[in-house]
Amino acid sequence: MYSAEISRKNPGCFIFLLDQSASMEDPFGGSSDRRKADELATIINKLLHNLSIRCAKGDSIYDYFHVAVIGYGQDTVVKSAFDGPMSGKDLVPISDLANNPLRIEDRVKKADDGNGGLVEQTVKFPLWFEAKHAGGTPMSSAFKMAADLVQRWVAEHAKGFPPIVINITDGESTDGDPVQEAKALCSLGSDDGAALVFNIHLSSAAGNPIELPASADGLPDKFSKQLFDMSSNLTPFMISRAKELGMPADEGARGFVFNAQPVQVIQFLDIGTRPANLR
Amino acid sequence: MIDALHPVIAAPFSIEAFSCQKAGNARTEYEDAWAIRGSDSPTRCRVAVADGATESSFSALWAALLVESFVRGRSHGPEFFRHLGAIRRLWRRKIRGRPLPWFAAEKAGRGAYAAFVGVSLNAVNRGWRAVAIGDCCLLHVRALPSQLELVSAFPLSHSEEFGSSPFLVGSVKKTDDDPLPHVRVSEGVLGADDTLFFASDALSAWLLRRAEKGEPAWDAISPLGMNTQEDFETLVTQAREEGTRNDDMTLVRLTRRAGGERGAG
Repeated sequence: MYSAEISRKNPGCFIFLLDQSASMEDPFGGSSDRRKADELATIINKLLHNLSIRCAKGDSIYDYFHVAVIGYGQDTVVKSAFDGPMSGKDLVPISDLANNPLRIEDRVKKADDGNGGLVEQTVKFPLWFEAKHAGGTPMSSAFKMAADLVQRWVAEHAKGFPPIVINITDGESTDGDPVQEAKALCSLGSDDGAALVFNIHLSSAAGNPIELPASADGLPDKFSKQLFDMSSNLTPFMISRAKELGMPADEGARGFVFNAQPVQVIQFLDIGTRPANLR
Repeated sequence: MIDALHPVIAAPFSIEAFSCQKAGNARTEYEDAWAIRGSDSPTRCRVAVADGATESSFSALWAALLVESFVRGRSHGPEFFRHLGAIRRLWRRKIRGRPLPWFAAEKAGRGAYAAFVGVSLNAVNRGWRAVAIGDCCLLHVRALPSQLELVSAFPLSHSEEFGSSPFLVGSVKKTDDDPLPHVRVSEGVLGADDTLFFASDALSAWLLRRAEKGEPAWDAISPLGMNTQEDFETLVTQAREEGTRNDDMTLVRLTRRAGGERGAG
């Protein structure tokens, strides 16, 4: 199980669910100047950025993954969250995403100069999503829509690696209990295993980030405990990869983080030899 | 498609190389590399195999530069990895100036990576010295009266040691990425009936797994069992059917030639 090769012929599938509800305007992690919606936009842009880089090969990009991004909240509806040239699309190959960001900013960062030193470099920084916050939080409906996409995907990729659904939210669902919908989604899957659900909880509460816990003990509130319940166990490969990447992941670890930016989750799927010293 | 056989036959050693790309990939996407120099030299022969990492860009180019530099250069010990500046510059020059989209430019900036094993073999006393980083392997096999037997496997010796994230040699020098502490060195002597096999990681892991199970494949890759590209293709198919990861596969085989006793003193 969870051993299907991921390649251009047998691509993997990521479905991101973005909470764009009014409550996301509240402060993030006790901050006075950063909103949860800002943090969410940063996380999804970083995830898509890293996924694109991971699939880049030579002067092109290999479609190792197909990606959907569903927003829930704006006008209390659930729909594709893409704006610009991707507007209205659901599952798209990663090359479409990489080639069609909303905009590309120039940012300065320190980089290796190739001779063992550091140099300031201007790098291209693509953005696909802006911070959004309006309406209710139809999280259960978002999981239903994700389940439809999962069903469609596994019908076409029966032997492939099962889809991974990553939900980024403050956890305050307004259309009923999302746990049942998440469990229903996890009853779907391919011959290689059940679909996986990960949750990234962005809270207004201050507190240390929590990554990949194996138990709900110590989680700060009922929303985080509920999101933990909705989260799948990591596969053995994911646990070992998480450890390699310096994340705390013990036996039984779940795909749940609290107030953290787990951009490493993009590395949890194997697409070939990854140098331990590649950063 | 699988590449044609590349025989390189000259005294005092006989060397053949076989290679094929990942199933489903084009031949141009093959990212291993191998190089041989001095197989007909009365003094010294050099062989190297490198395996460009899937998760880096322009790694086939980097793998090719590494093996060519090793067999053509003067450094064949750990110091080889101290003098990578020239080929690192060459790698950068070859990709600089290309109009790359943002993702390709950023990926290239992170550098290419490859596993490497290289051997320098003394044609007089048949002593060999190997250096390696990563999981390309050198397998020293000896012909006993009744069977072929593994003498040593280097740098990895058990199939469980192969993972998907080894430390590899990078084409960009970084502050915390010095390859020297990761260099492994081994030495041996090539007996009259011995063979040195150089194999990229997936093939090495399969060969070791077969030996561990008591079903060694040494005969299958010896000159008696494998001589054509079709033979190699059959072997690779078998390895993949037995669960070996779908990867580029490379095998270089070095044996002493009958009559290749020049300079033996």
